[in-house]
Amino acid sequence: MGVEAFFQASVDVFSSGSVMFVFLGVLLGLCFGIIPGLGGTTALALLIPITFTMDALDAMYLAGGVMGATSFGGSITAILLNTPGTAPNAATSFDGYPLAQQGKAGLAIGASATASAVGGLLGLITLMMFIPLAKEIVLLFGPVEFLLLTLLGLVAIAVSSRGKLLRGLIAGGFGLMLAFVGVDTMSGETRFTLDTDYLWDGVPLVPTLTGLFAISQMIELSLKGGAVASKIEDIGRISGMWDGVKSVFINWTVLFRGSIIGTVIGAIPGLGGTVASFIAYTSTVQASSDPSSFGKGNIIGVIAPESANNAKDGGSLVPTVAFGIPGSAETAVFLGILVLHGIDPGPTLLLENEREIYGLIIALTLSAVGASVIGLLTAKWLVKITFVNVNILVPLVVTISLTGVYVLQGKPGDVLMALIMGIVGYLMIRFDYPRLTLVIALVLGETAERSFHQSLLISDHNLVGLIMDRPQAIILVLATLLTLLLPALRKRGKKTA
Amino acid sequence: MFNRILASFSLIAAMSVGVGSAAADWPEKPIKFVVPYSTGGGFDTYVRAIAPEMEKILGVQVVPENIPGAGGQKGSATVYRSKPDGYTIGIMNIPGLTVPPLLGKKVAYNLDDMTWIGNLAKSTYAIAVKADSPINSLEELCSLGRPAKFSDTGPTSTSSVTSQISMSLINCPITNVTGYKGSSGATVAVMRGEVDATLKPISSLRKYVKSGDMKFIVTFENKPSLKGVPSSRDLGHDEFEKLTLYRIVGAPPGLPSDITKKLSDALYQAATSATVQEWSKKSKKPLEPLDSAAATKVMAELSGFYTKYKSILAN
Repeated sequence: MGVEAFFQASVDVFSSGSVMFVFLGVLLGLCFGIIPGLGGTTALALLIPITFTMDALDAMYLAGGVMGATSFGGSITAILLNTPGTAPNAATSFDGYPLAQQGKAGLAIGASATASAVGGLLGLITLMMFIPLAKEIVLLFGPVEFLLLTLLGLVAIAVSSRGKLLRGLIAGGFGLMLAFVGVDTMSGETRFTLDTDYLWDGVPLVPTLTGLFAISQMIELSLKGGAVASKIEDIGRISGMWDGVKSVFINWTVLFRGSIIGTVIGAIPGLGGTVASFIAYTSTVQASSDPSSFGKGNIIGVIAPESANNAKDGGSLVPTVAFGIPGSAETAVFLGILVLHGIDPGPTLLLENEREIYGLIIALTLSAVGASVIGLLTAKWLVKITFVNVNILVPLVVTISLTGVYVLQGKPGDVLMALIMGIVGYLMIRFDYPRLTLVIALVLGETAERSFHQSLLISDHNLVGLIMDRPQAIILVLATLLTLLLPALRKRGKKTA
Repeated sequence: MFNRILASFSLIAAMSVGVGSAAADWPEKPIKFVVPYSTGGGFDTYVRAIAPEMEKILGVQVVPENIPGAGGQKGSATVYRSKPDGYTIGIMNIPGLTVPPLLGKKVAYNLDDMTWIGNLAKSTYAIAVKADSPINSLEELCSLGRPAKFSDTGPTSTSSVTSQISMSLINCPITNVTGYKGSSGATVAVMRGEVDATLKPISSLRKYVKSGDMKFIVTFENKPSLKGVPSSRDLGHDEFEKLTLYRIVGAPPGLPSDITKKLSDALYQAATSATVQEWSKKSKKPLEPLDSAAATKVMAELSGFYTKYKSILAN
């Protein structure tokens, strides 16, 4: 097992010509990643019926290719259009877009491609190392740890909105309110569903994200007119791409921190890439000696979230493979592909389907590198998007992203939801409320509420006792306190210095 | 002249056949097989395995269509409201769909007048505890001096309903901690030790027992199928064995009986075909095919059975 199986799998993929499936997956993943509204989840969902007739190993190659490529693809649109192609890229746009506006899109894409590839590889190495320990890891995190983690995430929201604390809290509060819509997983009652069964399953994530990030940005762009980048003379001269590549290795501490955060958060079911890249971004800002440079085009602000949201792929496979508990939305759909091929995730999976699992890891490895190489090679042309007049760009992006929203579940209501959220998002841009804060709260709200109820029930309403019994919970409490107090301590440190 | 009269007669005859019995020519176009859950789930997998075989038998495409939402109610309501022409059928979760209307929830289907095409599979439930738990029997689980904690997905899920009904039948107090993701999530909760036991289909618990993490204490069946594990009948709880999960196939109310028969035959043949049987064995997805008549009988019995426990569920 381990290294030997990994090498055998590498030989297999090339000798059988199945590497074509990986390549196909990478191309699909890049396209689905780049286009706002589409993402890895949609790509995999559309592929499920097609993979049914395929060999299980080829299905792994195809799925691995897609999963490894989408998050880098999504960073391209985040940088160029301020419209994250997939939700986890939202944090990338904070500094990536200002860079593009300054005509330094090449630098940002170079950094994103490299951070994605290296982050992805680090995540996979961690996965390989931890697969034998997967059971112990999953068993460490119970409801009370989930509750504390969501608190940590919510605290990070508050801390990250420096100077805009109140606006951040309002946006976060709104996100939490949206999280309460739908069937209550504890009582089974429906809440705030406006008497339509559409809202039974809660406020749907993909349409909401598409509206908040893509549609709103298109409204903003079309009202502004012109093109994203103003310096027309920069066309065809995207210098700085290699500087971008180099910047990742110069800032290796940022890269490693991002990758570790991505892997760990990826491995925790229910949090996923959006939270991972957000926390990687905020922690990088906090650790920086010059926090005020972020949001204005600091290259580190691209490296941190991109390394995290690629590393999370490896991490999120830990609970998926070990227990069939998906670590992210994508792996939830991927789980379907496994089940469809008669591969039963669980403690015996690695013994029974070693070939498929290592095949998947190989595909993810090739994909992480392949997607970035393709990205670097095509960046020259991609960057020209920023010079396209918005009269052409906006209708195109809106049509494609709304189609993507519809395709995922075939619900017309989803399109309406995306449009409504588009208006909400535009108003938030207009009045300077952080949109990502709303999304993080929406993602965390459900987990927070559920794990709070569960923790109370399993501890017979003695929450403090439960936390004191579990060292890992105590660590999380301390981490939360540290996040909350660090900015204040820093300030005092500076004053005395 | 004579020829022409003959020709027009045969034309009229052909037309009247076309009008009189739609079923004679059925099927003429693709059949939609609704799955009220997302792609890749248990229900979806069964349908995708069976559909290609049904295509071979019926000679038209059988297209699985996922209409997820509201715990399977949305897709099931779509089937219920479709035209009874045999071109829309759907797989359904029983008692997952039986329980909500009993609890007074407004639903857009009525299981009592649905047409039942057949059944694909049945899951037998079992209760399992952590492998190193001091609890070794149902009796010990029920005499902890406090309510036994069970883990489950949603409060109206089939397994939640089953544990509530069965445990209240034997006056065993339980606290049902819901909100876990899938049956794996609920099983892992037992392994972490935060709850005492979980009730799940044998098929999803078996791998954790095999890996030495869990142990069975009772199976809900009439004779023991697992070595060393008592069945509910052995323990004198005869009602338990009726609490099973059916993956049953239905069609809109008022489907003509000849079409029902054709569909029922096709489904049964597909489920018993060599290809599907081999798939079932390989992917450990047990099959228990029933034809239309048998499935209709099961549904009639179940409706009465669950109505009896309405008051237990209302709590």
